Amino acid sequence: MPKRTDNVRRELSYLEAIREALWQEMACDERVFIIGEDVGVYGGAFGVTLGMVEEFGEERVIDTPISEYGIAGAITGAALVGMRPVGEIMFMDFTTLAMEQLVNQAAKMRFMFGGKAKVPFVLRTPAGSGSGAAAQHSQSLENWFVHVPGLKVVMPSTPYDAKGLLLASIRDDNPIIFVEHKLLYKTKGPVPEEPYTIPLGTAEVKRQGRDLTIVATSIMVKRSLEAAEQLAQEGTEVEVVDPRTLKPLDEETIVRSVIKTGRVLIVHEACKTGGYGGELAAIIAGSEAFDYLDTPILRLAGRDIPIPYNRTLEYHTVPQVETIVETARQLARGRV
Amino acid sequence: VAVPVIMPKLEMAQETATVVEWLKREGEPVEKGEPLLTVETDKVTVEVESSASGILAGVRVAPQQVVPVTEIIAYILQPGEELDESVNQRISESASWQTSKSQGQSVTPVAQRLAEAHGVELGAIIGTGPGGRITKADVEATMAATSRLVAELPPGPGKVRATPAARRIARERGLNLAQIAGSGPRGRIQAADVLTFTPAPAVIPAPTAEVVPLRGMRRTIAERMTASYRTAPHITLTVRVDMSGFEEARARLKAKAEATGQPHVSATALIVKAVAWALKRHPWLNSTLRQSSGQGLRQSSGKALRQGSGQGLRQNSGQALRQDSGQALRQDSGQGLRQDSGHGEEGEIHLLPEINVGVAVAVEEGLIVPVVRQADRKGVAEIAAEVNDLAARAREGRLTLADVAGGTFTISNLGPFGIEQFTAIINPPQAAILAVGATQPEAVVAEGNQVIVRPMMRMTLSADHRIVDGAVAARFLADLREALEAPTLLLW
Repeated sequence: MPKRTDNVRRELSYLEAIREALWQEMACDERVFIIGEDVGVYGGAFGVTLGMVEEFGEERVIDTPISEYGIAGAITGAALVGMRPVGEIMFMDFTTLAMEQLVNQAAKMRFMFGGKAKVPFVLRTPAGSGSGAAAQHSQSLENWFVHVPGLKVVMPSTPYDAKGLLLASIRDDNPIIFVEHKLLYKTKGPVPEEPYTIPLGTAEVKRQGRDLTIVATSIMVKRSLEAAEQLAQEGTEVEVVDPRTLKPLDEETIVRSVIKTGRVLIVHEACKTGGYGGELAAIIAGSEAFDYLDTPILRLAGRDIPIPYNRTLEYHTVPQVETIVETARQLARGRV
Repeated sequence: VAVPVIMPKLEMAQETATVVEWLKREGEPVEKGEPLLTVETDKVTVEVESSASGILAGVRVAPQQVVPVTEIIAYILQPGEELDESVNQRISESASWQTSKSQGQSVTPVAQRLAEAHGVELGAIIGTGPGGRITKADVEATMAATSRLVAELPPGPGKVRATPAARRIARERGLNLAQIAGSGPRGRIQAADVLTFTPAPAVIPAPTAEVVPLRGMRRTIAERMTASYRTAPHITLTVRVDMSGFEEARARLKAKAEATGQPHVSATALIVKAVAWALKRHPWLNSTLRQSSGQGLRQSSGKALRQGSGQGLRQNSGQALRQDSGQALRQDSGQGLRQDSGHGEEGEIHLLPEINVGVAVAVEEGLIVPVVRQADRKGVAEIAAEVNDLAARAREGRLTLADVAGGTFTISNLGPFGIEQFTAIINPPQAAILAVGATQPEAVVAEGNQVIVRPMMRMTLSADHRIVDGAVAARFLADLREALEAPTLLLW
């Protein structure tokens, strides 16, 4: 378990927390290396690996040609032979180009070799809209990977979680899709300096409340917390639960919260249809929480359209604080 | 092509405008750029120019109606063109717009129109548009959900809409969901509805009385007793009677009856004899009050108490004994109760020529009073035989009208039931009734302040004070007591 020490007050950005995790792990485990497009001299498309090539050298911070397939294949192979690589795909949209390696190779190896092989890599990739990067650079495709047995999917929402989950992911023996969010990179939060891990498969109640549970992922945790703050002014106490890892999922924490509040709103940025919210809704409906549900399980999610380039349209394509507030309010009042 | 006339958005923050006046009438030609109507925002009033040349048609908004901006309010048609039926529907009420506004709900015009056309309740929709604005898609989604799944598949009989939580709580508390009103959408019962529900106290059916119609003998008794009690001011006097002598005489009579093979002499028979003896000496107790107008007390003494025949004693019930205290009371005793009320009804007290003693007999249906006629002239054995016969026939329901008619005085004996003392209501139109209690051994203070045990009996006379004063009643009672205590006096 992470030890929260005196320097817990130290604030880092989400981006810095990730960099610190990489830095610390590379410093203490020579099997760990970074590979991706522009991760070296350029410091990564969003600056996550800035300065790392200078510290660890080009052999451990490897710039690749523009080939996501190549990156995925390289980390799969390296992991199979005992390394603990951390690949980076500049935009989650381009994981599509790496799918064969990830889905057909990396995910399957451990099972196909009866546990005698393992693929301990982390593939970091920023997802999400809000940066005006249009339809091909804004997607949230986490559920594609959730659907593939053998892969783990991690989605941190805070700097603290990002560092702890990344360290846990690097040390995990399975291929992990580590989904970051572009808009979260600059958000700040307390992060202890010493290395710590957050076990995969542990959700966290980010805010306690009695009237309604919001289960949110990634940046929607932040928006839900803001919405909860607004609703608190009206006397509606919202509980916000962050699964933190979609796979494995900490069902118990979610179910316990829903039993407590009797109402649940699921919020994620990915398109609603086929999104992770459907999975969560089904899990909740099938759990002990069923007898405590006092409203239908609702989902707020991205519209089933490509993310528009137009900033206004882009804004309205995915859940925002005000839409969360409005839906949560109706739900808490039993109007749904 | 029909060109729509649209409510213009004149200011950045403007959401609605009010139509002040149409400057063109429907069917009137209009040129592009010509003023078409005036509208008013909360800041300005402006003329709206026609955006096309043609004929004004399909005006959907009347003056003073509030309309959301961008709403179509009319059409400009080309000559010969007809307005499509579907768009020609007038918006009869702007109320729904204002309703949605007043709830602070934001609705897009197309969603508004769609909702109105399909009767969708906007209040039940959660807007997914910016700021929770209700969009066309929201309305369509609601329509899809309600029309297909709900309207066509309403809950089956005995089923209720309730959330799982509401069902669980109801189950835990043993409540019936069917009795709980739901506050959720479409009447769905939610947890709070169950938690705040207080079950009507378990309906324990109030024990229902067995209903017996008031008719026949019961009705007659009710009417006559009510009339008597209301009309005749009762005075009641009680005496204690030492029944030693009475018992002794009765024992002797009993022995005689046995010896001669005659029916035994009951206490009642002996009391009847004593009462008749006393009545002979106190005619006021054997009298009746009659209205000279012929109204009240129309019953002659010879026909009194036509009870038991099943026709009921309808006579008198409403009229008889209708003597109010304000009416004239004339007592010939010279004591001067000669009140002239001014009502003018004169009454007469008839001192009756025969002493016919009625004996109240309890029967299944009620009470009947067969009469021993001219009891003063009959021997005790004869009276005993008659009383036995009458009582037996009364219980069998075989009394004739003659058996119950003509009583001039009534004895009610509840002694056999162990009743010590009671008061009876006068059997109209008679003047008095004697209530006879049980004979029981009692401690009595005898001469020399000695306490001795005697068979004692209490009897209470109820008398109609209009006829009988206390002293008259007392003298009668004193004589009766004397006769009962020393039956030898009956030979007097």
